Amino acid sequence: MRVKKTIAASTAVLMGALALAACGGSDSDSGSGSDSADSAVELTFWHNSTTGDGKTYWEKTAAAFEEANPNVTIKIQSVQNEDMDGKLQTALNSGDAPDIFMARGGGKLADIVEAGQAMDLTDLISDEVREVAGGTLDAFAVDGKIYGMPTAVLPGGIWYSKDLFAQAGITETPTTMAELEDAVAKLKAAGIQPIALGAKDAWPAAHWYYFFALRACSQESINDSAAQMNFDDPCWLEAGQAYADFAKVEPFNNGFLTTTAQQGAGSSAGLLANHEAAMELMGAWNPGVIAGLTPDGKPLADLGWFPFPAIDGGEGDPTAMMGGVDGYACHADAPKECADFLNFYMAQEHQEGYAEAFVTIPASKDAQAAVTDPALQDVLTSYNEAAYVSVWLDTVLGQNVGNALNGAVVEMLAGSGDADSIVATVKAAAAKE
Amino acid sequence: MSDSQGDYSLATTPSPAGRSAAGDGALTAPSPARRRARRTDWRKHAEIALLAGPAIIVFVAFVIFPVVMAAYYGFYKWKGYGVPTDFVGLENYITILQDTTFHDALMHNGFIVVMSLVLQGPAAVILALLLNRKIRGRSLIRVLIFVPYVVSEVIVGTGWSLMLQTTGAVNGFLEKIGLEGWAVDWLSDPDVAIWSLMLIITWKYVGFAVILFLAGLQSIPEELHEAAAIDGASYWQTQRRITLPLLGPTLRIWAFLSIIGSLQLFDLVYIIWGQYVSATAGTSTMATYMVLNGRNAGNYGFGNAVAVVLFIISLVIALTYQRFVLRRDTEGALTEGKK
Repeated sequence: MRVKKTIAASTAVLMGALALAACGGSDSDSGSGSDSADSAVELTFWHNSTTGDGKTYWEKTAAAFEEANPNVTIKIQSVQNEDMDGKLQTALNSGDAPDIFMARGGGKLADIVEAGQAMDLTDLISDEVREVAGGTLDAFAVDGKIYGMPTAVLPGGIWYSKDLFAQAGITETPTTMAELEDAVAKLKAAGIQPIALGAKDAWPAAHWYYFFALRACSQESINDSAAQMNFDDPCWLEAGQAYADFAKVEPFNNGFLTTTAQQGAGSSAGLLANHEAAMELMGAWNPGVIAGLTPDGKPLADLGWFPFPAIDGGEGDPTAMMGGVDGYACHADAPKECADFLNFYMAQEHQEGYAEAFVTIPASKDAQAAVTDPALQDVLTSYNEAAYVSVWLDTVLGQNVGNALNGAVVEMLAGSGDADSIVATVKAAAAKE
Repeated sequence: MSDSQGDYSLATTPSPAGRSAAGDGALTAPSPARRRARRTDWRKHAEIALLAGPAIIVFVAFVIFPVVMAAYYGFYKWKGYGVPTDFVGLENYITILQDTTFHDALMHNGFIVVMSLVLQGPAAVILALLLNRKIRGRSLIRVLIFVPYVVSEVIVGTGWSLMLQTTGAVNGFLEKIGLEGWAVDWLSDPDVAIWSLMLIITWKYVGFAVILFLAGLQSIPEELHEAAAIDGASYWQTQRRITLPLLGPTLRIWAFLSIIGSLQLFDLVYIIWGQYVSATAGTSTMATYMVLNGRNAGNYGFGNAVAVVLFIISLVIALTYQRFVLRRDTEGALTEGKK
């Protein structure tokens, strides 16, 4: 499993494999549509914050909802992020699924929808929420209907250490691939490992490919390819080529193939946290992860962020971003109060609380003022100016194709594949769908 | 190797009729005898049902039933949600047998099976012979050799992977003693990685073989060695003609456990290389292939088909081995029903 540490400050986004918080035991008597407001309703709710501020946030929010709706009680269970996938799968299969469970859109959610296990929220989302959530709701769209409610947006980009950049004499953050390669050369000359990469988990290595694809392919092409599982557009090959060319300058840390993403000081996030490497390409959960791995356990003071550089001749908009959306879905048999709760947590105060508790960017536009971390504010600025935001490719493509794509990228980096083999592998996996 | 090796019950259920009827013929009155025989028969059956019943129920529920379910899921294209509906017949199996990455994994498994026997066998015999003599610090050496076997695979894997990183302790040590040229990428280099794996496997499991062989050596009667000494046999002759042949049954059982364990190797590879890099580093096994292409890809039907293939391969090898290698050792250990 590509597994991320759940940190109080960040619900980790799992690429492709969405870890879903789910809790067993939706009562059999909580049939859908308990109309009378005074009949007691119990909602079971699984989330993935087992410690700290995140856990407290959900307890407070659920308590506030219960106060506003005296007939509803919410039974919270926090599940370790690593265990969620399997637990939810088991719960859904045994007909013992939670009413509210984590969802990150993409193919995994589509599978759950196809199995008739997710509630169609299209008509249940209030107008105010639609207004503040904006485009983030699209991440939960399956066949034009919406099946989830976002909590946070987690766009990706390159995190870097300002101190190490200064040490290597880099004054401007790179905006093109040529400038990035130049920065890599300067860092190497200064004896610093340029980029930390947790290729053992595959998805961090694959992120680079997604971003190259985001720059090489037009928005239309990315959407069409994902929808039709068709990778004939030459831009997919160009993305792999650009990646292979970049890998030739050996920008990654020593032994990156056996480096994990987030486990301990030797992981890619740990290398950045301990000034062992200067950069890492990651989503917006990274400040929280890095904070847990610094020597003093505090956020990295000199952490900066810049968007993924532009590439020559790419069809994608250079301001476009890629990222994930965290959120929750309701089980198909859940009482309708479930949707009320999803609307409830989108209120400004609760979204601000979320942003503070998880050190991340809230899904609601109104709550963005709660983002105080300077690096995250840079992310937010880019996010608000982005021409469009694409969801992580392997999430969009679903587990089967996403997994194949991630594996093919690792093969290319390990020297047993190339740009052609990435496209070929993805096509082969798509044919199996 | 270390996993519980399933239940190769070498002892069949003892026949209830084992000895009950014997000797009854001597009785003059046949009818009470028959009655008594019937009664003891019935009581024996009840006893067996009572004592073995719970175990059989648990075994069927947690071993037989999952195996049957895996075989059933293997015929479907199934995402793991709800009831499988997309029947594809043998398609999963055809895909597996044509998949070159599965062939690679199978080859790696074969290599691990052979190399485990070749590396651990002789080393363990020599160590066992050494430790069977009265030498100073014998119990300390025994403990040191056996400790790695007791430590969990996850801890062993994590520890070794930290040491074998390019910037890890092993390369650091080599640089310190002036052998920079020997410092390689122990884990990612496809030419080196499988040997790193064999090193770790040998280090971890040789202790198990040594303990087995020591127990085997204990059971060799001292008189034989004395007789050989009186006949003027040299030390080496004694080992070759007496010790090794009498250690045969132990060797064969150990080899059996080692083969089955090597075929099912998963945890060390998964911890050290993960699922993706193990394929590029040449250390993938059938079990890591199964997890990568089954659970990770969300193709649960396919994953179950891989499990079935792995099961069949292990079963065929186990049965063949028992039939041709272990037969002599288990003769007499098996009760053939009525004697």
